[in-house]
Order: sequence, then structure tokens, then C-alpha cells
Amino acid sequence: MTSASSSSLPSPRLPQTRQSLPPTAHHPLAQPDDESDPTGSGPAPSARVPRRAQQQPPAPLPLRDRRSTASLFRSTLTPPGSRSASPAGSFASARSPGRASTMSLPMTGSVFGGGARSPYQQQQLQNQSLLDAGGADNPGDPLSLMLHSFVPHIAIHASVDVDGLARGKGFAAGLWELLRPFGERVQGKVMVRDSNGASRPWEDFSVRFVRYGEGLEEPDVTGLVGGGFLNGQPDANAGSVPGAASGSKKGDIIAQVEAVVDRHLNFAEEAYAGSGMSPSASPTRLGLDMDATSPYYALYLRRLLSGLPFAPHESFAHPVACVMAISSRDPAPIETLQKLYRETSQGDRSLPPWVDGEYLRYYVLVHDEENGDITKSMALFDQMKRNFGLHCHLLRLRSTQSAETDDDSIPLPRSDWMTAAEELADIEASETREDFEDPTRYIFESDATAIRTLVREMVTQSVVPTMERNISVWNDQVASRRRGLSGRFMSLSKRWTFGSSSRSSSGASGSGGGGGGSSSSSNYDSQGGFYRADSSEAIMRRLADYAFMLRDWKLAMSTYELLRSDFQNDKAWKYHASANEMAALALLIMPPNMSSKTRIETINQMLEQALYSYHTRCDSLYGAVRCTVLALELLRLRGGSGVDEAVRWGIRVLEARLTGPVGDALLRERMAVCYASKSGHGSQSWGARHRKSALWSVLGAEAWVALGKHVQAQRCLGEARRMYALLPAECGVQNFGVASDFLAGLQGQVKAGLRADGGAKEEVDEERETLGTSKQSKRMSLINPAGVAGVGGGGSAGLETAPLHDTLPAEAVEAGRVNDGFG
Amino acid sequence: MSYYFAIIGTQDNPLFEYEFGTSKQGGDGQARFPDDAHHLNQFVLHSSLDIVEEVQWTNGQLYLKVIDKFFTNYISCFMTAGNVKFLLLHQPTATAAAAAAATAGVSGVTPVANPSRNSTAVGANPTSPQTEEAIKNFFGEVYENYVKAIMSPFYKVNMGIRSPVFRQRVAAAGRKYL
Repeated sequence: MTSASSSSLPSPRLPQTRQSLPPTAHHPLAQPDDESDPTGSGPAPSARVPRRAQQQPPAPLPLRDRRSTASLFRSTLTPPGSRSASPAGSFASARSPGRASTMSLPMTGSVFGGGARSPYQQQQLQNQSLLDAGGADNPGDPLSLMLHSFVPHIAIHASVDVDGLARGKGFAAGLWELLRPFGERVQGKVMVRDSNGASRPWEDFSVRFVRYGEGLEEPDVTGLVGGGFLNGQPDANAGSVPGAASGSKKGDIIAQVEAVVDRHLNFAEEAYAGSGMSPSASPTRLGLDMDATSPYYALYLRRLLSGLPFAPHESFAHPVACVMAISSRDPAPIETLQKLYRETSQGDRSLPPWVDGEYLRYYVLVHDEENGDITKSMALFDQMKRNFGLHCHLLRLRSTQSAETDDDSIPLPRSDWMTAAEELADIEASETREDFEDPTRYIFESDATAIRTLVREMVTQSVVPTMERNISVWNDQVASRRRGLSGRFMSLSKRWTFGSSSRSSSGASGSGGGGGGSSSSSNYDSQGGFYRADSSEAIMRRLADYAFMLRDWKLAMSTYELLRSDFQNDKAWKYHASANEMAALALLIMPPNMSSKTRIETINQMLEQALYSYHTRCDSLYGAVRCTVLALELLRLRGGSGVDEAVRWGIRVLEARLTGPVGDALLRERMAVCYASKSGHGSQSWGARHRKSALWSVLGAEAWVALGKHVQAQRCLGEARRMYALLPAECGVQNFGVASDFLAGLQGQVKAGLRADGGAKEEVDEERETLGTSKQSKRMSLINPAGVAGVGGGGSAGLETAPLHDTLPAEAVEAGRVNDGFG
Repeated sequence: MSYYFAIIGTQDNPLFEYEFGTSKQGGDGQARFPDDAHHLNQFVLHSSLDIVEEVQWTNGQLYLKVIDKFFTNYISCFMTAGNVKFLLLHQPTATAAAAAAATAGVSGVTPVANPSRNSTAVGANPTSPQTEEAIKNFFGEVYENYVKAIMSPFYKVNMGIRSPVFRQRVAAAGRKYL
């Protein structure tokens, strides 16, 4: 059903449920013609796949004010179908164009699928990086999630009266909350020059606004313990206690992410129960969508990536720039600016020694349009420009709060990249407080335009050029020296002459300066567990991170490569893990130039080291999960034997029990998607992984049932059935006695669970449902022939007809269980 | 060490299934699968048919060795000429599996066999040459009996094999080699 046709159904329930979705909101940052409209509210193109209909059960809330809470769960309510650009019809053609290149890969050669590709395809893949191969366009897509999480962080340090102004507009957390959603998509193209001087425009550039000094993480020194530090003393006073504390804190991130996703899942279950559909009606048709990422998995990834730790071992979360904001209300504006500047450079609130203090300062004057005098503000702004140079901006805002009813108000979307803790707090507030209000804020159109201009100007004229300049300077002065012959020689001699004897005794105070301090052969402050910001390792790490953020994969990769060995020699395990992780990711994204066999081996080795360092040496669950899950996604996108590797890494995560139960179930579901994305060859589709995919779907369903999430379990089972129907024999496991009994049992459990959920309303709706579904099925049979004709294959007929069973009235399905594909 | 052996027909249909345990090192020949593993074994075996279909074209032999691994379960495969597959799922006991995973997983290549361990436990390391040889012998003997069984004039393609004599002979082969 397209959403257009579903709303025209006679059932009175449906219009009602549409109300429960958040109001039609246009993302102020999105282009008007953008299909990635996050609310997915645009009219569905008529050519959309019927199978996608009602991907998400429309969700009326049984509780309280529906609209206010529903907007909290918007990220998973949005039907994935509305995001996809896929035209119509068939399983094969519905894939995104990017994956089409991997689809046509021939069977792979060796036992575990070492790549034997035709020269043409190999060349095709060789010449493009993953970004060019598409796939990054879809907002829920893991690759695009990854690109939008490793972005420049801009700290916001506003004076008291600026925050007061923002609060007057309804943003309790100040200017930061107002700006944050606008950083998620910088309007227009952003030109970025790479290290070779070649420019490349990026449409989807984004930055992250953070509050100044927030989320600072103490360096932990568990690496010492794991690294076999022989001297007992540091272990006792530094190693164990803070290490344990920070270890549990890392685990917390995972736990919070799990909790958030769990809330979303509960919401879906409740919504399903509230909608009172009979168990046989809707969710059976919801297969896992192989094109769009499952909204819950996307949410999991997003929350995992949204709070990048502000830690010494990686500089992604270190501020690239800091916005210093004053307002026109300030009686002594220049003094306030100086005070703000002083706060960031010295005193209590300055950043720790492992953060580079030389980041860009960007001065913003916020002009109050309603109470301020524009001539005075202009004069002040001119004065600022004279004092502080070019990095200034005048931001003109209206100071009154905008209401939904105002003519020129637009809703400001909540940030997609809030951390798990924030979202959890929101959800908890909505559950416990009676007076919880809709968190959607409204701002004036003019304000939105002004902020968009500010962000665009700041990014294109100040932040990106500064980063480019830093990259070239650091590359010339630090990295290229290390890359040269003498640099290699120096690092060798450093390693061998001084050895480890001096290291253990000397680490106490951070031995500053590049090029080997007086007391130690290494720049690593082993007791504090960090490199100082001015040491050559830290600078190179920043260089690599900046290059990664500006998507200069080659430079990033080569720099991480240098750092890997340095960190290993210094036994800086956390740094080591992180460098390995990023090197592997950069290598996976950039256009491959080695043969795929060696490439996969190199990547595996790096990932292996990263995982070992994160998990075993540093006890950092967060790092371990992030590294393997991202690698898994990128390997999957590489296709061919990469898919098998991806699943192997997924199994590693499951085996080591890195995630909680929710993550476990999501990951199993993801394995199924991985295998399903590997397509076969020829009429028998040899080399495909339909059976494997179905197996993982069944495992996923089992996990969901154990968690009591029956809607999800039903989706998994539907997917397993669909996969089994794609097999040449079309009978799945039904000839295996115990296995098919188990499947039937699982199916029964899910049905019982759904019935218990759906509960009371079922009888009431039964009759209407029957009417509705018979109409639906008629309509589907009208639509179907077109879809089938698009493929013209035996397997696809099975695919299109399998869901039809579920549109039968409930009694028929109950009676004819035999027909449902499991026997 | 427990084994699950199945003969799979051309339509993904099992023709014969048999679970047994090792008889070496004083094993009593009983399968020691946990209760919830029986259905999982069937799922795993079925899913590895995907790999069989891919690998069969890259290898001229009938015996394809270990083709798949699912957590601690290893799958060995033997193709017959009629596209009927013999699949053997073997699950090393926990400690042996851990040791094997440690050596096989880290190096990423088939580890050089450790003679001392392999002399004591066939199958402790599922990818060692000794184990491969033992499984090959097992498959060979089963194949011989299978051919004799299906020569029965009443047998049709993809029919289950119900002969008790065949079952006894498979059991004997299992006792002899595994």
C-alpha cells in the first residue's frame, strides 16, 4: 500500500493514526526537493513498492498526549520506505544504484570466497571509493552515518546574556541548542581541498556543535596494566582505580544506547497493541527491508556514534573551532569577549594539556532585532572586525519566542545527533512527568535563514580553510619528516638506544616538546596516559583526524599507518587501538589499489589489533563495538568476499558478548541483511547466501522473542520465510524435522505474543479488519502484476506472493498454517 | 566431540540423519549436544549448503574438506556424483575448540599441525590434516555403503534412506574413524 492509498481506505482507524505521527514538518536545513526529508511526510510517489506499505505499524499512542511523545520517537517511526529512492517493483531493482555494482559480481573463488572478479568489474571497483559508489546518500545508511559522525566539532562558548536571549526564545540550553540542528547539514556545497591541492565539493558536509568543555573524559591508564607494566608502583596508584572507573563508564555508553533503543522498541510494541490490529494483519508483511537500514539498527549506530568521547586518544571530539558569542545587550561587549577568550585559554575552564589550545576562535555578535539598535550593533561589529580580524559574524535574531501558529514559524527539528544520555533523559521525562510538553520548538523563518548563513559562512570561510592550512603545515613540518628516510632512522635509533629502561622511571611529569624531551625517549606520558598536545605524535594524530574529517582518506590512512607503530612502541594501547581502527576504516573507504586479497588481510590484521587493544588491553567496550560494527558495515558495502568477512566480524562481537541483549538481537538481524546483500550468479544464484541469511533471521527472531519484542520477531520470521522462498527448492528447512518444528513453535510464540499485545481491541476490529484486508488484497493483486513483470523470474513470484498469505482474514491463516511456507 | 551427519538430497531435503559422538580416547560414541542444539544443528547444516554451492565449482575433488564454520561448529562436505551432499557437522569440545580457535583465528591461516595434540585427539583441531584424513575415510566408507543402498531397485531419487543396515554401517564407520 502506498501511504496515499492507505489513507483512502474506509477504515476509520487509519486517518486517526496518521494524526499521531508528528506534524508535517519540513526540515529547515533540507533542500526543498530533497527526498531525505526526515519526517517522510511528502506524498509518496505512486510507483512505490506495495510491499513497503505500512512498514512501520502506524502508531497511535495509548497514553497521554499522543503528539508530544510521538515526536520523541520520530527517528524510528519514519517509514524507511519513504526515504528510499528506489523506483518500484522487484527485489532486485529496488536496490540502491550503488549496490548494483556489487550485485553483479560473479561468484567468488576460494573456499571462503576470496575474490575472483572479472577484470572489468575489478577495475570498476578499483577506481572508486565507497563514497562514489553511492550508498552514502541515504540518511539511515551506515556509511552516511559514519561520515556524519566523524565531523569537525565546534565548541560554543556564549556569554550569559546570549544564553539568556536563546532561553527567551525557548531554548533552555542556550545558543548551543539553537545552533545544533543547523550543523547537521551545511547548506550548499562545501569545497574542500585535499593535500594534493585538488578541490572537491561535498554536498552533505556537516559539523557538530558542542558546548565548550563538555563531556571531557579523563585519560585512563588501564593500558598500563594490560601492557605488562613491570614496575608495580604505577599499577597500584594510577592503574587500577581510575581504570576501573572509566572502564565502567565506557560500558555505560553501550548501556545507555541499549536503553534508548529498548524504549523505542517498547514504543513500537505499545503502538502496535494500541492500534489493535489482529495479529495476522500487518506486521507479518513487514520483512526486513534490505535496502533501507532497519530504523532501530540505524538508531543504535547513531547513538553509538553521537557521543564521540572527548578523550586524549582520538581528536575527533576536540574542538576545531570555538564560537565566542556576545549579544548586543551587553554593555561592555569587547571586555566580555576578552573574558570569554581568557576562559578558554587559561584558568579552570581551559582544556587539559592533551588538547591543542590553538584552535580557531570565531567571534559572533548576536543582534537582538526587536530590542537592539542596528546602527549600534553595526558599529560594534566593525570594531570587532578591527580587533579580531576576519573570523567574525553578525547574527541577527528576533528575541521573542515563536509559536506554532505564527505565519512565518517553522519547526526546528530535534537534533539527530543527541547523545544516548540526552535522549534517555527526554524519554524518561516524558514517562514520569505529567506536564511533559512537546519538545518541538519553533523559530522564525528569518532566524533560520540567519543561522544557516552563519553556519555556512563559518564553515566555508573559516573552519575548512583553517583545517586545510593546519593539515598542510603539519604535513610539511611533522609528518613528512617522519615519512622520510631520516625520520624512519630517527625512530629506530630512538627505540633501540634508550630502550625501555628509562621509560618506567621517567614518565612522571609530561615531558613536553617534540623530538624527545630531556627525561624520556618517548613523548608518551605513561602515568597520565596521554601525549601532550605539542608532541609530534599528538600533532600527527590531529593531522590524520583532520584529514579524515575532510575526507582525504589517503593522507589519513598513511598518517595512521605511521602512528600505529609509534604507539605500539610506546605501549600507548588506547592510542594504538584507535589508530588501527581509523586506519582500517580509511582503507576501507578509499578506492582500493591493492588486490582485494591482500587488502582484506591487511584490514583484518588492523582490526584484529584494534579489537585486541580496545577490548583486552584497555577494557574499552565502546571502542571495541564501534570499531567492529563500523568495519562490518564497510566490508559489507565492499561486497564479494567482504560480506563473508563482515559476518565473521559480527560473529566476533556476538562471541565476545560486547553488546547487551538489544544490540545482540539487532546484530543478528544485521547479519541476515549482510548475507542477503550478497547476490548470486546465474539462474541458480550460486554464491548467494539466502540460507545463511534466513538462518540469521531465525536467530534474530529467537532473540527478539526472548526479549518480548514480538513485532520485531514477526518481521524477522517474515524475512526468513521470504529468503527460504527465494531458494531454488523453495522449501526451506521444512524437510528437517526438528528445525521446522522449532520454527513452527517460534511462529506460534510470536503469534501468541502479538495476540496478548493486541489483546482487547482485536475482537472489536475483527470484522472491519476483514473487510479492509480483503480490499487490500484485491488492490495488491492489481498492483502486483506490474511488480512481477519487472523481474520475470520464478523466485520473484514466490517473493511477491508470500506476503499475500498474511492479508488473508485471520481465521484462514489460523486454519491454513500449512501454507505459510514453514510447513 | 560430537558429530551430526546428514545426507542432503538435491532439493535441500535430508535423506538420512545420524548423530553420534567420538569413539576415540575412551569416548562412548554418544552425541553430547546440548538440548537446544538439535534444531540449531539442522539450521546450520542447511545454511552451509550456500557455501557448498559456491565451493563445489572451485574444487575438482568430491571431498571438499571443512567448508564452513558457525561459532564452534565446523562443517565438512563430500559431494556425490548425483549432487547429493554428505555433510558432517563436528563440534569440538569446549577446551579443544578454544585452543583451535586461538591458533586458527589469530594467524588467519591453517595452523601447522601440532603433532603432540593431534596424536591424542582426532578432531580436536578440525582443520588439521589428521582430522581431514579421518573424515575423508569416514566419508569414503559411507559413500561406498550409500551407493550400495541406493542400488536397490525400489529406491528413487531424493527418497529418504530408511535401511537399518545402512544406519548400522554408518555407525560402524563413525566408530572406526572418528
